[in-house]
Amino acid sequence: MSTINRREFVVTGVGAVALSAAIFKSVQGWLGEAGQYLGTNLARPLHAPLTPPSATDLDPVAHLLNRFTFGPGPGDHARVSAMGTEDFFNEQLEPDNIDDAVCDRAIARFSEAWWEPLGEAYEEDDEALTPLLRRVTLLRAIYSKRQLLEVMCEFWSDHFNVDPGKGDCRFAKIDDDRNVIRALALGNFRNMLRASALSPAMLWYLDGRANTRLTPEEKPNENYARELMELHTLGVHGGYTQIDVMEVARCLTGWTVLAKKDDGFSGNLLSPTKDRAKVVFRQEAHDDGPKRVLGQDIPAGLGEEDLDRVIDIVATHPSTARFLAGKLCARFIADEPPAVAVAAVEQGFTKSRGDLKTTLRALIATPEFQQSAGAKFKRPIHFIVSALRATNAQTDAGRGILSYLERMGQVPFGYPTPDGYPVAAEAWHTTLLWRWKFALALSNNKIAGTSIQRDKLTNALGGDDALMASVLNRQGSETESDAALQSGDRLALLLASPAFQHC
Amino acid sequence: MSTFGHLTKERDTPRTLVVIFLRGAADGLTLVAPIVDDDYHRLRPRLAVKAADAVPLDGTFGLHPKLAALEAAWKDGDLAIAHGAGGESDTRSHFEAQDLMEHGGPVAGGWLARFLRARGPVQSPLAAVALAPTLPASLSGAPSAAAFSSLDEFSLMEGAEKLPSFPQQLRRLYEAESPTMKTAAANTFEALRRIEGIDRKASPEHGAEYEANDSFARGLRQIALLIKADVGLDAASIDLGGWDSHFTQQTLLAPLMSRLANGLAAFRQDLRPRMATTTVVVMTEFGRRVGENTAFGTDHGRGSAMFVLGGDIRGGQIIGGWPGLQPDTLEGPGDLPVWNNYRNILSPILARHGTPDSLPDIFPDYELSPANLYR
Repeated sequence: MSTINRREFVVTGVGAVALSAAIFKSVQGWLGEAGQYLGTNLARPLHAPLTPPSATDLDPVAHLLNRFTFGPGPGDHARVSAMGTEDFFNEQLEPDNIDDAVCDRAIARFSEAWWEPLGEAYEEDDEALTPLLRRVTLLRAIYSKRQLLEVMCEFWSDHFNVDPGKGDCRFAKIDDDRNVIRALALGNFRNMLRASALSPAMLWYLDGRANTRLTPEEKPNENYARELMELHTLGVHGGYTQIDVMEVARCLTGWTVLAKKDDGFSGNLLSPTKDRAKVVFRQEAHDDGPKRVLGQDIPAGLGEEDLDRVIDIVATHPSTARFLAGKLCARFIADEPPAVAVAAVEQGFTKSRGDLKTTLRALIATPEFQQSAGAKFKRPIHFIVSALRATNAQTDAGRGILSYLERMGQVPFGYPTPDGYPVAAEAWHTTLLWRWKFALALSNNKIAGTSIQRDKLTNALGGDDALMASVLNRQGSETESDAALQSGDRLALLLASPAFQHC
Repeated sequence: MSTFGHLTKERDTPRTLVVIFLRGAADGLTLVAPIVDDDYHRLRPRLAVKAADAVPLDGTFGLHPKLAALEAAWKDGDLAIAHGAGGESDTRSHFEAQDLMEHGGPVAGGWLARFLRARGPVQSPLAAVALAPTLPASLSGAPSAAAFSSLDEFSLMEGAEKLPSFPQQLRRLYEAESPTMKTAAANTFEALRRIEGIDRKASPEHGAEYEANDSFARGLRQIALLIKADVGLDAASIDLGGWDSHFTQQTLLAPLMSRLANGLAAFRQDLRPRMATTTVVVMTEFGRRVGENTAFGTDHGRGSAMFVLGGDIRGGQIIGGWPGLQPDTLEGPGDLPVWNNYRNILSPILARHGTPDSLPDIFPDYELSPANLYR
C-alpha cells in the first residue's frame, strides 16, 4: 500500500492543469473500482482443492496452521499439505512476496491508518482513529494471506504494548503500529527495540517525552527505563538493579516528541505536518555526565549516542535472549514451556544476533513444538478470527464483532498497562459464555456486519463430516460427530466445542 | 453445586460496586444545597433551594425536595455525601473532564477496569456490566465487561434460536476435558443457570417500587436482579444524563432528581440485606458556576457533589466540610472549588471491595488521601 499525504498531494502539484488531470484520473479510478472501497466480496471463492484434514489427531500441517496463522480457512490445509510445512513457513517469513489483494481491498477505505507523516493524523477525529485501527487490525488478521506476519504483529503489540487511551497515543499508536510493529515484526529485535524507544507513541505512553534534566536537581522520569528492562528486554528477574533503572533513565534524558502546536519548550510555532509529533533530541535537557549501565561504562559527553549504547547493552544482554525465548515459547508452545525448548530458541536468538526469522525457525524445529498440538487455549481475538476464517465469513469487523471482544476483554489495543494481554489460559477461562454465544450467533447470521453462507460452505466442502474436519482442523471424533448431530446446530456446536477453543 | 467458590482471601465476601455517572455536569449546589449560607442565596437569587423547602441533613446542608426519597438512607446512616467533589481538569469541557475522571487521570484504561484487574483473574463471565450501548471509558481495558440493555442478552440462546439439546451436547463435550476446562465450563453453565433462573417478571422485594416507565429505574432493577442471582457481579455502571442546565435549570433538573432519588431508594429497598455488601457511587464530571446566569441556568464550574450509598459505610456525614462561598474561596470565574478529589472518595470503597494494596496502581501518579468512609 503506497503512502498517501493529502497535503503534499494537494499543495505540491506541478500546476493546476496537471492537478486537475490527476484528480480526474483518480476519480475515474475510484468510480471504476467502487467495490474496492466498500470492503465487500471478501470471502474466498470455494473452487480450490478443499480437501479437509484426514487425520484423527492434529497433523503437523494442522498444528502449524493453528499456531502461526489465525486459524485455517477452507482449503488452507489442502494447500499447505501440497506445498509442505517447510515451504509454507518459508513463504510466510517473506510477507512482501505474498500477494494480498483481498486484504488490501478489505482495508482500502480506512486509509487514515497509513497516512504519513504522523502529523496528518492530528487532523483526524481522535475518537475515530483507534476504532479504525482496531478494525484494520482485525480485517488483516481475518483476510490477509500474510498470516504469520499478522500473528507476530499481535505478539509484538502485546510485547511493546501501547494503549492509545493515554495522551497523544490516540494519534501516535497508528504510527507505532505501522513503523515499529508491522515494519519490524519479522526483522531484527534490536532494530525494533530502537524504533520502539523513539516511537512517539511510546514516548507518550511511558513518559519518555517528559524525561528531562534541565537542572542538576531535576530527577529523570524512570517509567520507560524500568519497563524497557522489565518488560521489553531483560525481564523482571533479568539481573538489573534500581541503580540501572536510574542510569538508563539518565541516558535517555532529552529525547522527546514535539507537541501539537508549539514545541512545548522554545515557544516556536511548528509546521503542522513537518514538525508535529516529530521526535527530537534536546541536548540541553540531556544529562551528559558519565553513566554505568549493567556493568558497562558509558563515558560523559556522548549526547544522543547514549541511546544506542543503552539499546545495544540491553538488546544483547543474555537475559534478554532468555526472556524473549520464554515469551515466544509461552505464546507458541505451551503456557509453561519446557526449559529445553526455551534454551533452543534462546540459542537461535543469540547466534543470529536477534534475527527474528531465525529465532522462529529455531522454535518450530524443537520437538517440544511438534509435540504441543492442541495444548494452547485460544485467546478471544484468536477464537473470533479463527471462527470467521473457518466459516469463510464476510465481515466489516465493526461493532458487531467488537462487542464480543469487549465482553471477552480482548479489544485490540485495549490493554491499559504496559505488560500486554496475558497469554496463559487461566486469564481467559471465564470467556466461554461469550464464545458459545458467538458461535450460535455466527452460525445463525445474527452478528451485525457479518455474514456466512453455511449451506454453500458445507456443500463446497463435501458434506457435514467434511465441514467438521475443516473447522476442527482434524477429523471429528465419534462423540463430536454425535454431539454435533444431536445439538440441532452442527456448526455452532463445533465452534463452541472445546476442540475449537484450543490450538 | 458451588461455583465461583475458589475465592482468594482478598475477596472472601462477594461485593458489588455500582457506579452511576450523571453526565452533563450536575449542579451540586442544587442537589445538596448549603441552605444556611447567605452567600448561596445572594448568588442564586432565583435558583437557590429555599431552606424551608429543603430536606435538612445537618446544620449546613439540605437535600433538594426532589431528592426527598434519599432522606431515609441518610437517617439510617447509609448515605454519605462529599461536596466540592470533582477532578483536576479545569478546562470545564464535558468531554475532557469525563474522560479524565473515567480514566482516573491522564492514564490509559479506566479506573474501574484497573480495579477489576487488580482483583486477579475474574471468576465470572458477568464480573462487570454496563447498562449502555457501549462500554464507558471507566471500563476500558476491563478483564471482562458486557454492555447490555436486557438480561436476555446473557442467555446462551436468545429469541428464535432455541435449541433444547444444544447446552446438553456442549456439556457432554466439555465433560471429557481436562479438570481446568471442565471446571471453567461447569462455572459457565452454573452462571447461565442462575441468569436463566432470574424471574424477570417477579416483583421487587421488600415492597420496593421502581418507576415502570423510567429507563434508569429499569436499569437499576436489572442490576439488582443480577446481584440477587449471585452471578458473580463485581461492578456495574449506569448513566443518567441530561444535567447540562444552562437554561431554565429548575425545569430541567426537577425530573432528573426525582428519577435519581426514586431509583436509588427503590434499589436500596429491593436489595435490603444485600446492601451490606453493595456500594453505590453517584458522580459527575464537574459542578456549575455558583452565580446563576440570566437564562435561569448555570454555566460550567468545578466542584459538585458525590453520593455514596451502602449498608456498611459511615453514612449520615458530609465528607470534608464546607469552605463557604466568599470570593477568595471561589475558583476562576466564580466556581465552587474541588476539595474532595473523586479518587479520595473512591479509594476507600475500592479498598473495601477487595483491593487495599492496589490503590496506587488503580490511581497512578496521584497522592491518595482516602476519605474516612468506614467505621
